This record gives sequence, C-alpha cells and structure tokens, in this order.
Amino acid sequence: MKEQTNIATGKVERAGRLVTTGLKVGTNYIKHYTRKLMDPSITKDALHQENAEDIYDTLSNLKGSALKVAQMLSMDKGMLPKAYTERFAMSQYSAPPLSGPLVVNTFIKTLGKSPTQLYDQFDMKAANAASIGQVHKAVKDGKPLAVKIQYPGVANSVKSDLRLVKPFAIRIVGMNEVDMDKYFDEIESKLLEETDYALELRRSQELSAQCAHIPNLIFPVYYPSLSSDRIITMDWLEGKHLKEFLLTNPSQEIRNRIGQALWDFYQFQVHKLKKVHADPHPGNFLLREDGTVGIFDFGCVKEIPEDFYVNYFLLTDKEVLKDEARRKEIYTNLEMIHPTDTEKEIVFFSGLFQEMIRLLTLPFTVERFDFGNEDYFNEIYAYMDYLYNLKEVRESKVARGTRHSLYINRTYFGLYSMLSDLKANIKTAL
Amino acid sequence: MEKQSIREAYKRYWLENGKRPVSVFALCKILDAPETSFYEHYSSMEGVENDIWLDFFQRTTDQLREDETYQQYTAQEKLLAFYFLWVQKLKEDRSYILLQKERFHFPGSQYRQLSTFKKAFYEYASGLIKEGYLTSEIKERKYISDQYVHGFWMQALFVLKYWIDDTSVNFELTDAAIEKAVNLSFQLIHSNTLDSLLDFGKFILARK
Repeated sequence: MKEQTNIATGKVERAGRLVTTGLKVGTNYIKHYTRKLMDPSITKDALHQENAEDIYDTLSNLKGSALKVAQMLSMDKGMLPKAYTERFAMSQYSAPPLSGPLVVNTFIKTLGKSPTQLYDQFDMKAANAASIGQVHKAVKDGKPLAVKIQYPGVANSVKSDLRLVKPFAIRIVGMNEVDMDKYFDEIESKLLEETDYALELRRSQELSAQCAHIPNLIFPVYYPSLSSDRIITMDWLEGKHLKEFLLTNPSQEIRNRIGQALWDFYQFQVHKLKKVHADPHPGNFLLREDGTVGIFDFGCVKEIPEDFYVNYFLLTDKEVLKDEARRKEIYTNLEMIHPTDTEKEIVFFSGLFQEMIRLLTLPFTVERFDFGNEDYFNEIYAYMDYLYNLKEVRESKVARGTRHSLYINRTYFGLYSMLSDLKANIKTAL
Repeated sequence: MEKQSIREAYKRYWLENGKRPVSVFALCKILDAPETSFYEHYSSMEGVENDIWLDFFQRTTDQLREDETYQQYTAQEKLLAFYFLWVQKLKEDRSYILLQKERFHFPGSQYRQLSTFKKAFYEYASGLIKEGYLTSEIKERKYISDQYVHGFWMQALFVLKYWIDDTSVNFELTDAAIEKAVNLSFQLIHSNTLDSLLDFGKFILARK
C-alpha cells in the first residue's frame, strides 16, 4: 500500500529529506562550477540563491525546530550571504496549518473540553502560523481572545531535528563541529524551553507585569484557566506587523514613539531585569496607529548571567576599550579570543573586533540616535561583507563569543533591524 | 447478565491473570452466573474478544455522530476526528490491548480478534469515500477507487500499531502520526500523482 510506505513521521524520514537537500545543494555546486567554466565572470550569488531555496524548502517541510533554526539564521543578517537571509526571512510567516480535528483533540486532551464548550466563539481557521504552533481567534464574554496551540510532538523532535540541521549550519557558517556544539547546546535548551507552554505562561505574566510601567507598551492579559501545556489563551491584540504597518505610511513622530518604546523595553529588561525577550522577530510585535506596541510571546527568554553582563557591556565603554590589556582581558572572558589563537591571530582579530564593536555600539555612546540613517547600516553591512570575505576569517573555523552572546546578539540584531525599518530617531542614552 | 459485563469481566480477567480464562465456565464463575447465560450472548470467547474491538469502534462513531462540528467536517477531517477519538477510547484499555499484543505479535499474524471491527470500519470508510466523491475531495477512478477502503484499513492498523509502540507523553506522537498519515492519504487519492503513476505504468506495460 502506497499510503503506508510513505508516511513521514520518524527520524528516518526527516533524515531522508535532509539527505535529498544535501544532494540538491551538491548539485547546485556542480551547476555553479560548470557555469563558471563557461562564464568566468559569474558570481556566487546565483549559487547562494539556489542553495537557500533548497535548504529553506526542506526546513519548512520539517517545521518545528528546524524552522526555528532557519529563523535564527535569518536574524543574523550579515553573518550569512544575502540570498540566504532573504529566503529564510520568509520562514517567519509561513507554515502549513493544523487540521481542525487535531485542534479539537488537543483541547480535549489537555483541558478536557472542546473549544466550543470553552469559548463563545472559536475560529477553526488559524489566524496565524508560528514555528511551533498556530494562533486561533476566539471570543468569550464579548472579549476577543488569541489562542495559541502547539503542534504535537514538537518537544520530541527538537533534539533529532537539531542533530539533522547541524551539518547544514556548519556548512553555512563554516565553523568546526566542536565549537558549533556549544551554540547548539544553547539553542537546544532554549528551544526546549519554548515548547514548555506552562513556563511561557508564567514568564509572560511575570515579565509583562514588570514592564507594564514603560510608556506605549501594551501587554495582553493571560488566562491560566484556559491554558495548558499545549495551549495559551490571552487577549487578542489589534495592530499590524512591521511590514504592513509601514505600508500605511505612519508619521515620523509615531515611528519615533514606537521605536522609543521598543528601545526602552529592551534596555529595561537587559539592565534591570537581566532577563530578556530574546525573540525580537517582527511577528511578535503588533504596531498600532497611535504609536503603541503590543508585545506577546515570551517563549524565548534569555537570562543574562552576571559575569557575562559585566564583560559584555564593558565593550560599550570607550574608556575601557582604550586600555589594551583590559580589552584583551574582556575579549578573553567573552571567549572572542580562542585558546588556540596565536599571538599574531590575537592581534589580527582584536583589530577587527574593535572596529566591529565601535560600529555596533555607536547608538549606545550618544544622546540620541537616528536609526533611519542608512549610511550607518550600510557601513555595518559593508564591514560584515568585508569580514566575510577576509581569508583569515573564512579560514578560521573556531567559534568566537560565549554561548550567551548568541541570544543577546540575536536580540540586538533583531532590535536594530526593526528600528532601522522604522527609521526611528530615539533617545538612546541611559 | 449483559454483554457489557461479560466483556468487562473478560478484560478484567486478562488484566489480573495475564492470560485468557481456561474455559467459559471459569469466566462465568467470576461473574457469578450459570454458563448457559453466557451463551445467550456469545458463542465463544473469540466472540467476546471480537466484540471488545467492535465496542471501541462503536463508542467512537456514536460519539462522533452526536457532535455538531463533526457533521460539518469534510471527509478528510472526519477521518482525522475518528482516529483521534478512537485512540482516546483505546487509551482506557491500553493495558488490555498491550496484553493482546504480547499474545499475538499484534497486529501481525492474528487478525481474527479484529474481524468484526474490520467489517464495521470498512462500512464506515466506504461511507466517507462516497462523501468524498460528492465533495470531490476524492477522485473516482475505475477499479482503483474500490481499493481505497483497503488502504484506509491498513492506515487504521498503522495508527493502532504506532499507538501501541508510542512512548511519548500523552501519546502526542500518535497525534502527529495520524495527522501526517491522513493528510498524505487524502493528497494521494485526490491529486493527480496517482493518475500519472498509473498512466506511466500502463504505458510501460503496453509497450512490451
């Protein structure tokens, strides 16, 4: 029976999919070099484009944690060739939906009642798909609600998915496996946390309460009695995602207000709470015409260890950076300098870091900063490109930066890219 | 004495002793009833075993029939809802089912226990398939479409086997397996993939 032999559930099937991709990527390389033989002027852009598409297709078929990794990769613009990031950025919105019966089944299994019994109205069609779940709209007592439902088996597949994705990540990022491990441990522990909806509910309530005083932020109310380890019910927030919001041509004043709210939100979490909403992709924010921002999805929260915090933010201190010995000490603490580095490499990489840090921390060192300044971002991208093409960097297979820097960097990348899209001019001094 | 209590007593005997009662007499003894009353309902213990499986099925479809949302579902969603509810019902008697698995290397060589359930399932599945024709969810193909129902039966056995071997919390991997299996099967019988495959097969054979 055809139906039987083709069922795609086990690890073998998932592995099979990735092998197919591996083959396709291999073929793309062959195509590329053949084309290059005929036409030496051809660049690698077309190759990256094709690879990105094939890899993306595979990852989105696998859904779940593999899709999450795609999202992660898409956040770190600059770390990847442009073609990859553009293609991966799409993964932030699209994933095929769960069937109605499975939604009902999840309710009955975890809450003991069907959605029609729990809510006055429940829209069976998902309003939104996320990487590990989907969101439905419901109404109870005249109040619109957002109900987030997790795909079954996600937690189970995190480990095996990551193991399968690893070879691709190594290939794309060009890092040795041992060093990649420390990052993958970090990603794995965060992904497992994200599948724990009970934890997410607790954190959401806690962090929204702590951040409630920041102006122009809107947090939904959460309903624990309508939530389980697979379901979270919260208020339905009105608003638009970043891209659609920008299409409405919001005024500079509104954009500044939103940008300021986001900036304050992150600064407060990082410096006061030492815990941060580490998933700043545009799907988690709803922007509104009056200059307020709705924030939800505290599934991915990074707790910042004290010694990492101290070292990381010393980098924003110009005085400290002038002292060469101090600087080297900080780089070593943050594992940006690898134990196996030679003296020459240390000097070389320190120089690169210094320039990179100067660029990236620029907003922190001034009173106000205009994120609409395209020159600034072009300079960053140009520098990233320059780094990416440096022979020494490409050939260095070691990981630079502690595991904690992964999510913190990602958070700031996400924040910067949103502020840049908003072209917000904001007060950045503490 | 009712059929229901005989079935319960039979299951209970299995759960406590890990084997089937040596005779109908022994079974009736724990029911505190004369052997003859057993034969008013069943002719043998095989009949009881069969009826246990049929009972899972009937309780599932009965509950579905009463559900309003179920009535509005498409054929594909109906089948999904059936499997989800069915494994819920099976869960109540998981220990018993696992014991049967030990006994028969279930569900491989020994289908006899399932024969009446199989008949009922075939009826249910053909109903769904006809519904699928009407909503054009399922494509009618000469000769071939008569075989679909066998495919669904294999699928039901697959779900059963997957669930038996499932070690995930709350059997949530079974949920994922059901979703994927049903989606795949409906895509196959709906889309043109199958037609192209058949067409290709015919072409190859005809050329000989």
